[in-house]
Amino acid sequence: MKWFLMLLALPAFLFPLASLVYILSHAWDSLSWSLIFGAEESSSMIEAGQGLWPQIIGSLWLMLWACILSLPVAISLALFHALYASRRQQRGLMMILQLLQGIPPIVYGLCGLIVLVHLLHWGISLAAGGVILAVIVLPLLTSNMIHALERIPMEQTESAKALGLSPVQIIGRVWLPLVWSGVLTGILLAMARALSETAPILFTATVFSGVDWPDSMLSPVTSLQTHIFYLAQEGSDAHAVGVAWASAAILLMLILCFSLLALVLRRLEEKV
Amino acid sequence: MNLSHKAMPEPIEGSQKNVGHAFDSLCCEHLYLHLSNQVILKDVSFSLPEKGITSLIGPSGAGKSSLLRCITGLNETWQGDIKLNQQHLRQWHGGVDALRKHIGLISQKPSVFPVSIAENVTFGLSRKQRKQNQSTWIQHCLEKAALWDEVKHRLNMPAASLSLGQQQRLCLARALALKPSMLLLDEPTASLDPRSKALIEASLRQLAESMPLLCVTHDLQQTQRLQGQVIFMCDGKIIETGACGDFFEHPKRIETREFLQWSVCDCGD
Repeated sequence: MKWFLMLLALPAFLFPLASLVYILSHAWDSLSWSLIFGAEESSSMIEAGQGLWPQIIGSLWLMLWACILSLPVAISLALFHALYASRRQQRGLMMILQLLQGIPPIVYGLCGLIVLVHLLHWGISLAAGGVILAVIVLPLLTSNMIHALERIPMEQTESAKALGLSPVQIIGRVWLPLVWSGVLTGILLAMARALSETAPILFTATVFSGVDWPDSMLSPVTSLQTHIFYLAQEGSDAHAVGVAWASAAILLMLILCFSLLALVLRRLEEKV
Repeated sequence: MNLSHKAMPEPIEGSQKNVGHAFDSLCCEHLYLHLSNQVILKDVSFSLPEKGITSLIGPSGAGKSSLLRCITGLNETWQGDIKLNQQHLRQWHGGVDALRKHIGLISQKPSVFPVSIAENVTFGLSRKQRKQNQSTWIQHCLEKAALWDEVKHRLNMPAASLSLGQQQRLCLARALALKPSMLLLDEPTASLDPRSKALIEASLRQLAESMPLLCVTHDLQQTQRLQGQVIFMCDGKIIETGACGDFFEHPKRIETREFLQWSVCDCGD
């Protein structure tokens, strides 16, 4: 029985590992400092100029705005859930979060295109992409915070209440020291999720070329995700495909960094 | 023995506004509590003497712990009237947070905060009070809780490193640090070893000389050791009250006699 179950579970370990090795092996030849930071002279349009640096920064900008915009809302929702919501409201909130998590990202992208880009006239911009990504990561961030707060022993909260601490003091002095690592883990996972989304920002935030750094929140950006998408369409150009593999490897490393950091924090939290 | 006595050390910067006088009594009148369409407390009326221990006994589900939660405001959906020193609980100056600083609550399961032993003692004090040197006050509270001798050389150690019995005494010291006017105890020695039990009982007897204590317990031998008054509750109602000796020797109600009989059988087992 044990061996049968292990055999069934094996693909779950092998497939991501094989994908990682496959991507890295294809990207290895193309990966270089000049590809990332740019070269003064190059035979290729892709390598010339600033390399992949603007794409990396663009992806990080979008990720950062998504977290900045969603964090206050997620904190408010989690605290409302913990402090004031009735059982019925708690169930309703969790159901809405699960529903939001189930909506395909491309639907969010389409909504962003219609509402933010066209109706509100924001155009293809960092702001539109940031808002849409914020909506996408909000359920994940909120659920993580709610679960972190639920892990606080009831006795700790009741003891603090019995000592006459106000709700603000309870949050700051009792809850925060107990949940900070859980909350940080949630933020890192949300960052990884924001970095991995392509379809929503393809519709709302990114262009392939002509942009190095966004001038304002209403300027378009370039990103690694959409860069890979555009380059992969150039199937006949071997160099473009090589750069696409390299971009994929860099993106994968960034996401892995955030996920591993989240994993380390979760371990720390479990030890505490 | 009185915590507000001049000879005793005081927390720096004084205490809360309402401290400085002892409450005459706690007075509950016609208290009802409904939770999830169930009646938990039915027409509960009693008052506590100015000082001394009152044991609250009864079978599980009688509403004893719920009664304590109503008094401390942890459960706010009760109907009726609860007065402390003739002041209605719901109209307390400064609200429920200020009220809770006057009523020390010790739960069955000790719950220490993940900070040092000393910081646990001062956890309920204001930020201003905590910033000042409170070492004399910490020592006084730990002595009152019969814990000082065991922790005086490791006040900066995490409170979680203490044994369960020591943690419970730390919770008692933490409650005393606020100079409460009364103490509510919810089975404070239920999961403790005999030594910790004896130490806590000794502390309670000493504290009872200066303030009223209301102690929920299932341990009838402990009730007899603590003496004082006894309130017997069953099905959310107060069945019988009386002085400890009288209550055990001459119970008036049939429910009380049955409860005492069953409890004696339990002890025998």
